[in-house]
Amino acid sequence: MPMYKSRAKVNLPVLMRVTGWLLMIEAAFMLFPLLTCLIYGESDYMAFLIGTAITATAGGAMTFLIKPTRNDMAKREGFLLTALVWVIFSLFGMIPFLLSSTHYSISDAFFEAMSGFTTTGVSALSTVEQLSHGLHLWRCLMQWIGGMGIILFTLAVIPMLNHSGGMQMFNAEVTGITRDKIRPRVSQTAKTLWLIYFLLSIALCLLLWAGPMDFFDSMCHALSSMSTGGFSTRDAGIAAWESNYLKIVLIVFMFIGGINFALIYKASVGDFKSFRENDSFKAYLKIIGLALIAYIAAITFSGQAVNWESVSIDPLFQIVSALSSTGYTTSAFENWGTTILLITFILMFFGACAGSTSGGAKIDRLIFMLKNLRNEVHRCIQPNAILSVRVNGRVIAPELVSKVMAFLWIYVLIIIAGGVILTSAGMSMPDAFYSAFSCVSNTGLTSAVTGNGNVYAFMPDAGKWLLSFLMLVGRLELFTVLVLFSRSFWRK
Amino acid sequence: MKIVIVGAGEVGSHLAKLLSREEQDIVLVDKDANRLANLDANYNLMTLCGSPTSFSIMREAGVDDCDLFIAVTPYETTNVTACAMAKSIGAKKTVARIDNYEFMIDESQEFFTKIGVDYLIYPEFLAAQEIMTSLKRSWVRHWFELHDGEIILVGVKLRDTAPLIGKQLKDLAFVQRNFHISAIKRNHETIIPRGDDIIRANDILYFTTTRDHVDDLLDLCGKVQHDIKRVLIMGGSRIAIRLVAMAGEEYSFKIIESNLEVCKHLPEKCPNCEIVHGDARDFDVLREEGIEDFDAFIALAESSESNILSCLTAKEFGVDKTIAEVENIQFISEAEGLNIGTIINKKLLASSKIFQILLDADINSSKCLALTDAEVAEIEVKPKSKITRAAVKDLNLSRDMTIAGLIRDGQGMLVNGNTVIQPGDHVVVFCLTGAIHKVEKLFN
Repeated sequence: MPMYKSRAKVNLPVLMRVTGWLLMIEAAFMLFPLLTCLIYGESDYMAFLIGTAITATAGGAMTFLIKPTRNDMAKREGFLLTALVWVIFSLFGMIPFLLSSTHYSISDAFFEAMSGFTTTGVSALSTVEQLSHGLHLWRCLMQWIGGMGIILFTLAVIPMLNHSGGMQMFNAEVTGITRDKIRPRVSQTAKTLWLIYFLLSIALCLLLWAGPMDFFDSMCHALSSMSTGGFSTRDAGIAAWESNYLKIVLIVFMFIGGINFALIYKASVGDFKSFRENDSFKAYLKIIGLALIAYIAAITFSGQAVNWESVSIDPLFQIVSALSSTGYTTSAFENWGTTILLITFILMFFGACAGSTSGGAKIDRLIFMLKNLRNEVHRCIQPNAILSVRVNGRVIAPELVSKVMAFLWIYVLIIIAGGVILTSAGMSMPDAFYSAFSCVSNTGLTSAVTGNGNVYAFMPDAGKWLLSFLMLVGRLELFTVLVLFSRSFWRK
Repeated sequence: MKIVIVGAGEVGSHLAKLLSREEQDIVLVDKDANRLANLDANYNLMTLCGSPTSFSIMREAGVDDCDLFIAVTPYETTNVTACAMAKSIGAKKTVARIDNYEFMIDESQEFFTKIGVDYLIYPEFLAAQEIMTSLKRSWVRHWFELHDGEIILVGVKLRDTAPLIGKQLKDLAFVQRNFHISAIKRNHETIIPRGDDIIRANDILYFTTTRDHVDDLLDLCGKVQHDIKRVLIMGGSRIAIRLVAMAGEEYSFKIIESNLEVCKHLPEKCPNCEIVHGDARDFDVLREEGIEDFDAFIALAESSESNILSCLTAKEFGVDKTIAEVENIQFISEAEGLNIGTIINKKLLASSKIFQILLDADINSSKCLALTDAEVAEIEVKPKSKITRAAVKDLNLSRDMTIAGLIRDGQGMLVNGNTVIQPGDHVVVFCLTGAIHKVEKLFN
């Protein structure tokens, strides 16, 4: 009887087997850049060939040679597997970087891979334009996989995870305070989410292609914008094209990337009412509106309002890019002044709606925090008042509110700790805190927002490993990774 | 198949857990978010917090295109209303749990069909039926009839005296082919036995047999059929009232009830019974009521613990058959290991019943009986399926399953290694939990 089974050790064989499956999926994804290299006649095809071969062999060996005695996966396996998979994916994902014609050190390659999968979108290189087409595609593809989630993809394609073990992994990976299941079975939920994501990406790619971009660039940018990642094929990013059309298209899709996908699903089946009733969506719109006013005011006062774009499309692009944690920049961003930079920080801190591909602490938590704050203030005057935190028309349990408070605290502490460690590695204070912040929130606003050039390229190796870790912690929303470091997780 | 369950009480959550492992789409609705939280995080199903009788919640849960709507909240009026509402917005079949016997009688049937309730589940009634079966066959722990009794599944606990003990299954096979030992429950674990397994004392053996050969099992297991006349019931619960009404003149009952208020009402509902006010956990009370003279003792009090312990006491007084109602599902396995004749659990009975309704609604689902960690399924063999290709012994069947028997042309028969299964047969398969999908592949 299961109930008499002692709380057994972590079920390693099952973890290895599932990881094996996942690696084979990764190997399949590597075939796309391999093909690209062949089409463009680039020498990097060898890097991808070897990468695919190693990944597929390792994955196949783990899947077919390991025969687990039990198939059950509990909460601990779910957490462990989810955190491990992201690390292992990055480890194998960095192989093409290491073997490519562009020379990456191991630290750089891992940083780049982690930055890709976590949709942070910072590069370890000071210039990316010399990269082969294959590498460009691989960088963007990593973001695309990571955006919706590695585990979620697996749940959609591997039926063997369609049980409670799969549930644990789903819980450990999907962002947000509460997990919205949109269909009764977890595999259906995963399939539906990936389908929406896939269709949106195709639409974006076609729209970009219709503008001044060529097909390859549109594909890469579609992959990295839909996932709110932010890798670009050019050093200057989107600014390189100087096209308002592109900016508008990207604003729309980055905005969509920041919406809870469960809402998009409901809209796709004709239920638009949910949008109106969803507090975090409304807050998302309001925040964009308020930030836009602040931006325009700051730009006008600092005398940067040179043309109509600089007070409309440019600030809007920058706001949506920071809020959705994509991290594209417009050309003029550095000149807008410190106030704008600080507002951008706040946007980065909270990110967009839970259940989207964006990073940050999520607007939902902001709402919880503000409503709770309001209650606490009110309670000073009326100690006997019964006050509740209501979100989306539902009263939220106090435990959930306290979990959100804990989350926000740990989030801030991690940024501070990261910043302190980075300064000790010899970085200047603004750079250190900025990069810790940017990585935890998976935004990865690219070079030079602090005015010191691309800090990532000159960072010591230890700093890169630390930031890679922060990106992972941020992407899996703290608890999934941090719980692995708690004693109670490993105690028998 | 899409199933919406309303009410995450014990029956509701038990069903939801079972069905979520069966590749069914489950949506579970309850008013209380706390009840749902754990199920939502750990099982492959969707939960929704809201009133069971709200059209908007029902639409959100997808009742409008669900195949089965099950209302198992604690309140029968809520359940009936919910079913009527569900039916009106498009649920294909509805099941309501009720606790009023009047609703079960045939005259009420038409009314309920008219308002949109297709099936009624009355757990107390099912429990009373189960008790009746076990009183009739006092030596049996489980009794389950398949296909109108063509194949009978019998669970028997072996005492030290049984002639079967110490024998290997393959030795038995040559002696007789009147029964098939499909599973053995030993130390909380169910095993599908092979030829070299040895039968031990205290095993619960699950036999599959046909109607004519059931009585052969008595001698084999060293059991004696006690004719039960006098029955002592502890606790004047609804099950007790139902049982007394169902039994009629067949048995003579004495009910010991500790609550004086309940005692006052009992004579009206159970006119032919002796009613005693007292605590049946007290030795003196039992002795005073002459427990030694009773043939059976049924413990139906509210507390599962009391029921288990008083059954053990009754056994020591020399009562032949004891039956305990155990409502904590966790206790059942533990209680089965003790010396208690039959264990009754309303929730398991109700979920079993709903499973059978499912079976009627969905021809692809085949399960008909869920034991604690094994399942019995009756599956129709499709033409050209894998199972028909060779004799059973040459099929290399998985060790998690066994073919217990089959029904061909409406006639039950047992299966041995040389049997070749034909398309159109109904095969009774015994398998460990989770192996049912492997099994279904063989038949399609």
